[in-house]
Amino acid sequence: MAVAVIMPRQGQSVESCIIHTIYKSIGDKVEKGEMIFDYETDKASFEETAPESGTILAIFFEPGDEVPVLTNVLVIGQPGEHFEEFIPGNRKTTAHATEKNAPIKTPGEEEKTDTVVEETISAQTGKDQQFISPRARKIADKKGIDTSALTGSGPGGRIIERDILLAIERGNRLTPLARKRAANQNVSSPGIGSGLAGAITSADLKEKGMEGDNSFEIVPLSNIRKIIAHAMHQSLQNSAQLTHHLSADARRLLTLRQEVKTRMSKGAFANITINDLVCLAVVRILKKYSQVNAHFLSDNLKKFKRVNLGVAIDTERGLMVPAVCNADLYSIGELSAAIKSLTDACRKGSVNPDVLSPEAASFTVSNLGNYGVEMFTPIINLPQVAILGVNTIVPRPKDIGNGVYGFVPHIGLSLTYDHRAIDGSEATRFLKDTATEIENLEVEL
Amino acid sequence: MYDLAIIGGGPAGYTAAERAGAKGLSVILFEKTELGGVCLNEGCIPSKTLLYAAKLYENARNASKYGITIKGTSYDFMKMMARKNKIVKNLVGAVGTKMKHYQVEVVRAAAAIQGRFPEGIKIETDNNTFIAKNLLICTGSEAVIPPIKGLDKSSDIILTNREILALERVPESLVIIGGGVVGIEFACLFNSLGTKVTVIELLDKILGEMDAEISSHLQENLRKRSVIFHLSSKVLEIKKDEVIFEKDKNRHNIRAEKILLSIGRRPVTEGFGLENLGVELLRGGIKVDRKMQTNIPNVYAAGDVTGFSLLAHTAYREGEVVINNLTGKKDHMRYNAIPAVVYTFPEVSSVGLTEKLASDKGIKYKLAKLPMTYAGRFMAENEGENGLCKILIGEKYGEILGVHMIGSPSSEIIYGAAMAIENEMTLEELKEVIFPHPTVSEIFKEVIFSF
Repeated sequence: MAVAVIMPRQGQSVESCIIHTIYKSIGDKVEKGEMIFDYETDKASFEETAPESGTILAIFFEPGDEVPVLTNVLVIGQPGEHFEEFIPGNRKTTAHATEKNAPIKTPGEEEKTDTVVEETISAQTGKDQQFISPRARKIADKKGIDTSALTGSGPGGRIIERDILLAIERGNRLTPLARKRAANQNVSSPGIGSGLAGAITSADLKEKGMEGDNSFEIVPLSNIRKIIAHAMHQSLQNSAQLTHHLSADARRLLTLRQEVKTRMSKGAFANITINDLVCLAVVRILKKYSQVNAHFLSDNLKKFKRVNLGVAIDTERGLMVPAVCNADLYSIGELSAAIKSLTDACRKGSVNPDVLSPEAASFTVSNLGNYGVEMFTPIINLPQVAILGVNTIVPRPKDIGNGVYGFVPHIGLSLTYDHRAIDGSEATRFLKDTATEIENLEVEL
Repeated sequence: MYDLAIIGGGPAGYTAAERAGAKGLSVILFEKTELGGVCLNEGCIPSKTLLYAAKLYENARNASKYGITIKGTSYDFMKMMARKNKIVKNLVGAVGTKMKHYQVEVVRAAAAIQGRFPEGIKIETDNNTFIAKNLLICTGSEAVIPPIKGLDKSSDIILTNREILALERVPESLVIIGGGVVGIEFACLFNSLGTKVTVIELLDKILGEMDAEISSHLQENLRKRSVIFHLSSKVLEIKKDEVIFEKDKNRHNIRAEKILLSIGRRPVTEGFGLENLGVELLRGGIKVDRKMQTNIPNVYAAGDVTGFSLLAHTAYREGEVVINNLTGKKDHMRYNAIPAVVYTFPEVSSVGLTEKLASDKGIKYKLAKLPMTYAGRFMAENEGENGLCKILIGEKYGEILGVHMIGSPSSEIIYGAAMAIENEMTLEELKEVIFPHPTVSEIFKEVIFSF
């Protein structure tokens, strides 16, 4: 007997998940307990294993598809068994399907209305197909709600129950003309219109997307973007962060960097950058300020014994902040190599997710010096207590003795700290000490 | 302090007062002459009352068409006028009763707006001062007196709608300057009472913006009944009882016992302190949005004073919109389906877009029309007459855009067309509506099916 593997429901509020990787193809053999696909919500990712051994008979989705929970994703059974009854909705299976029979719905399927069993939709949108869940359709028909111009809030713009309930509440009623136009064109309708007693008239309908002159394009957010957005917003809302700026004389850094370049031209491999040197300085000073190398946990301060340095990396997909664990044990060469390897891993997408969590690092450094930024206000990765922004090197006037001022390269340091955890004077002392360390940096290259 | 002060007790004013009072607002209404405004006192009601009497007289004179002999038909003008006065008085009284019923305080005095103050909007009459939170201006409109040389308003010969409805005898001859709805109605009225009527109109058609084909139908009908028309004619001078006008580059003159000025109406925006508020005007009327709000907070305007749609039924609805919004019910005006009726016999009724308006707006339409004789009852009750029913629909979806009719009793049918337009009904839905048989309204169905 063939069985379907459904998209599990991870939590009450989750309506759909995105399939990340499918590890099997149609026709593959699979063992019970073997991983068949993984999927993610906006909070975490999960793996789905085969409930029993058999052969993959059908796969209804592709990586990247957003699948409503409790929908059949694939079918495992014995070769030759029918699987049509498991096909979600009217969607034809992928081209690799071995059988092509008319979809037969088992008697029980239509009656499943107490659970949120919503038939799936195909990835493309067709004008003649009304993308609406059976539950929503039932309610709409019962209440006489016209769905032809409703915009759905479900996955892929599908109309689900809550859209119908909202339409009922708002008094959605289209005039005959509006209905005709909606059936004919790609338009969206408001909840209430300008016609008699709020009826939606033809003039109330808006063409979807096109505002006459293509002046914009709606782009859905990627998962990583949503995660970053949430994290950044949460950080600002749930902390008392502020930023102090100060600059350090950068001549020592520049001298060291010059030495690295000289060695490299003579055959050495280690490309130690300004940022690596700054990170080393930061790590050293963090050892002296345990309250900065910490996490703020509402009632407690979690002071780390080692320094796990988070390094902000810019990738194509977005910002990532992997942590160099136990960074205080590294020499400059090892630190530089660790940062480099993490950067590559992030950009390739092969970085260990464990080190990406803000809990993994005890402090973060974010360097925008390459871009010419002179000063900025970085956002803390909560629950860390602070973050150091490193800026570009600019010439500043400095007293070089005997009342003479000259232009000296300085590197800007922007420290954002959570005032719930530490006070200004403390933060400033930390920052000043870091600057001093940078100005007098002693390393073994 | 009153919740709402209303200046003007015409259709807009008294309807708003009634709705507001019914909803429990404290309302004060200022009316310096008679409740009911122009509509009740010197417009709609008196003219339609007289028109009906005139129609009866005309029907009686033509009764032999139906096999009926009526010997010695005659009319008593003073009796007609007395009846008209009685009806007006009754209706004005009814408005007064309604105001009492809804606890609207009515002040029979001229109001003078002092302005907006921290405590509210201040209005003064001769004896008293009143404060209100909101103000609704319904001061209506007045007949436009054209700047014609020699025009002496105080002369007995020159009349506007007010004076002509107070005549004591039917004039032998009448020149009507302005062939719009008002002018044409009076032309029909007095013509059937035996007056020699001449209409002088500036444009090349009568009835202003109404459908051209239907306007010329009516004109032809009246012409056959001895009304004389001079179109594309401009009045140059009035010398006592002589009207000198220019037509086809020639000067003509015509003498008449009475001369009626009916070239249009304009909003009344002066004489009651409006300038103390600073409301914005537009084309002579008070500028309002779809919720009848002026640019000044808490100040609204409704009816003819807005200069937009000078019809009593628009005024009723505008007054209602104000009160709805004041009492928490979202409402706004729509102007796309306001019916217009000309109470001549035969009646002319229309709602929605004319062909000209649709073309001007670039709206693609389809047209169908049929003579009224396609409706059995019309033929049965309008011996020897014909009419026309014309319907415009949207080209793509068939939604009703406009309906225009000439033939009685189109005035009682046109509201159905207004409903169809407001509801954006298309041919498909209208085909399923059942019209009673036999009625003149069936012509509607006939035209729908002729598309």
